[in-house]
Amino acid sequence: MPKAAPRLAGTIVRKEIVANLLSYKFFIVIGLTSLLIFTGLFVMARDYKGRLADYDLIKPKPGDPIAVLAPNPLSVLAKGLDEAMTRSFEVESIGIEVRAGRQSGNAVFAFFPAPDFVYIVKVVLSLVALLFGFDQISREREGGTLKLILSNPVSRAAVLAGKWLGNFLTLAVPFLIVTLLGLAVLALDPGFRLREGDAGRLALLLGICLAYIALFLSLGFLISATTRRSASTLVILLLIWAGMVFVLPNLGTLLARQIVDVPSVRSLHEKRQQIWTREVLLSIADRSTWDARIQSMNEEFDRLTEDYRMKFDRLVRLSKNLNRLSPAASFVYAATEVAGTGIGEEGRLKQEIVRYKNRVLEDNRLGRKDRAAFSYRYRPAGRVLAEGGLFDIAWLVVLNIVLFAAGYAAVVRYDVR
Amino acid sequence: MFRAVIAKELRNHLLSFRFLAVFVLLVVIVPVTVLVLANDHVRDLDDYARRRAEIQNYLNRYAHFNRIGNIIAPTQPPVPFQALIRGLSAETDLNSFDDDPLPVMFPLLDLTFIAAVLLSLAALVFTYDAVSGEKEDGTLKLMLSNGVSRSIILLGKVAGGAAALLIPYLVSLAVGMVLLLFNPRVGWSGADWGALGIILLGSVVYIGVFCGLGVFISSRHHSSSASILTCLFVWVLLALVIPNLSPYLASVLRPTPSRIQIGREITRLTDVERDDLGRKLSQERRTAVLAKYPILAGAERLSVAEIKARIEKDADFAKAYAVFRDESAAGWKEANAIQGGKARILREELGRKEAAQTRLSISLSMISPLADLTYLFADLSNTGMRNQAHFRTLAEAWDRTYGEYESGKIEALRRGNPTMDVWNTPVDVGDMPRFQYQEETLTSRIRGVLTPLTVLLIMAVGIFAAAFISFVRTDPR
Repeated sequence: MPKAAPRLAGTIVRKEIVANLLSYKFFIVIGLTSLLIFTGLFVMARDYKGRLADYDLIKPKPGDPIAVLAPNPLSVLAKGLDEAMTRSFEVESIGIEVRAGRQSGNAVFAFFPAPDFVYIVKVVLSLVALLFGFDQISREREGGTLKLILSNPVSRAAVLAGKWLGNFLTLAVPFLIVTLLGLAVLALDPGFRLREGDAGRLALLLGICLAYIALFLSLGFLISATTRRSASTLVILLLIWAGMVFVLPNLGTLLARQIVDVPSVRSLHEKRQQIWTREVLLSIADRSTWDARIQSMNEEFDRLTEDYRMKFDRLVRLSKNLNRLSPAASFVYAATEVAGTGIGEEGRLKQEIVRYKNRVLEDNRLGRKDRAAFSYRYRPAGRVLAEGGLFDIAWLVVLNIVLFAAGYAAVVRYDVR
Repeated sequence: MFRAVIAKELRNHLLSFRFLAVFVLLVVIVPVTVLVLANDHVRDLDDYARRRAEIQNYLNRYAHFNRIGNIIAPTQPPVPFQALIRGLSAETDLNSFDDDPLPVMFPLLDLTFIAAVLLSLAALVFTYDAVSGEKEDGTLKLMLSNGVSRSIILLGKVAGGAAALLIPYLVSLAVGMVLLLFNPRVGWSGADWGALGIILLGSVVYIGVFCGLGVFISSRHHSSSASILTCLFVWVLLALVIPNLSPYLASVLRPTPSRIQIGREITRLTDVERDDLGRKLSQERRTAVLAKYPILAGAERLSVAEIKARIEKDADFAKAYAVFRDESAAGWKEANAIQGGKARILREELGRKEAAQTRLSISLSMISPLADLTYLFADLSNTGMRNQAHFRTLAEAWDRTYGEYESGKIEALRRGNPTMDVWNTPVDVGDMPRFQYQEETLTSRIRGVLTPLTVLLIMAVGIFAAAFISFVRTDPR
């Protein structure tokens, strides 16, 4: 038995792989994911190149006090907030003017989320993983083969692990092949160039995707081992899946807004307009020095921004923590942060822009001529991980282990008849 | 017989586990969403009232015509339907530094989302085994051995599934609406309730489409585990991929020039090029005037003070110089008109191309019933593209009214005190026309959603026909 067990476990892995390769499910799934991943990469790469051409137009000339970021090549996989981050932030005497925001007048873009790689993994591959897992135990029981397997000298743990591994491999290997193929096609395009360190981020991103997929596979196994019929398994799984992927993250942000009071964007915009026009009028009325007014106005604007950022950061933290109940949200946070298009990176960019603005205004006040250009370095992957990324990944892994362990507990008690 | 079939289907569903699961899910999620959204809407109302008060406060003390336009620009007030449907109302203002990017990461949950995603999924879960499951159980043979036609069975299956799904949907929505009614701040008008009626009608057709799809797929498969796979495959494509891809595909098929590029081009036309042309045209005109009035010889080289002195002394020179000045100005005006015309053409061209791309995106996305339902919900609730256009029309009309008011007021001020700096003096604008947002009437909202509703109906009929054909040819063994 001690010697036979590993061999049997290997046989189970092989059996699962072969069974999957020959199944209708496998073909549908591979066809669907390849189609979606290729189409997603293609349209997002096109979108990226369009934004890159725009960037060439708005790129500041030396000496312009303008902060513009080039589009992030990884936004092809995880668009996140890249569009907001690559706007043109122009420093003016009374603060930061944002231009080049809306790149299209087509309102349909606003109706549906961008079909990037992360979206496809989040929605489609999680569903696919569930479909691989949902009938693993219950189907074999219904078919009567579970008894036969267990009549061999092999532990239930080995059966479960072998099944899980076999299914994971049939899922992960084609997924990786298709993705790498898509990326290879993308790499042939001269308009698409990865930056230094992007390869590592890409590898990390794929790792996060695999962890996410594994989690849904484990969930499928767990539910499959706790219900008797595969049909009812599927119904529960689909509802849990819809709740995790769609309902929880979208509701979490709304709930956080009920708790943290953040001034509306429009009210802030109007307040600035009011302050600015008021000061212009007053300065004409009492002929006071404009410089002093600009100084005080800047301080007032800075206070508004600071107050807003503080409240907004609290909202982001709370909504993040609420949303993390759903692994889909954790996945999106981790993936976008690693790609450099996440909400943490966006917040840091804004901080840097405010700092740059202060420096430019200081230079202007002192009459310094040689103005430094704005430069922004994305946080290195290590920092991203330290600042929450690792937490999200760890959370995915822990959930995975918990689900697998629960699945094991359920299988041990499972009545195989 | 039809009643017996439908009663059997309905009873089957009502006693099933999936019905219970969907029921619990909807009855929890819909009221929670309504509560949260209603609360959010009340906060929006408060925020709007506060902003209005601040503007009024400002106007009482600092209103002056130079910059008043920035202060009183019309804004969209929250519409009561936002307690249920958010549409495009999320604040993703891309031109503010202090913005709110959260909705970009996770779209807000609302009734549209629940109906479009959860109901379609539930409809497929209810019907994926309608034929293939009965085939597996062997009950299909038994049923067909009775004197009941296949079309009746099929109709019963689609209608039974749809009715079974409508129960949790309507119950959960009713609970939500009761909660909404208890909220005194959310005031729905008769038109809103009417719109909700059409929304329900759209939901029924939508559920019908997906129930029909489930039965259709089911009758093409021999095992229910294969039919659920195909169902989910089709669902992912129809609901989660086609709508999202459509604007991107449309931008490949009907590209629009980049807004930034056009903006640069317009700046060049109306700035550098305008200056060159203006200099050239006014020079030409000035040369012509100089040739006509010899008295002006050498005037171009005089300083401002010298010209002033000569104008005072010499009446003929003054007259000739006035012509000279007017012609020079006319040259600049002409340059402005020419370059402005070119810029307008560019802008209109961009607008036309963007509109064409939007139309194509909408048409492409309409292949997906989910997109049809989304447009239907958004336009009926005044949170969609139609309302954005409606708001723009209202704002433009108000701009014109306000412009008339402003020029009248300025004229009156000037009459009272000719030397006054009318632009930068605080004025009383208590009699200013106020922007009034008026929601679209129910009839025009309904007219706006006729297309998505018709498309949904055609889909429902088409899918039912397809289901009928494949069910008639099904081998029940």
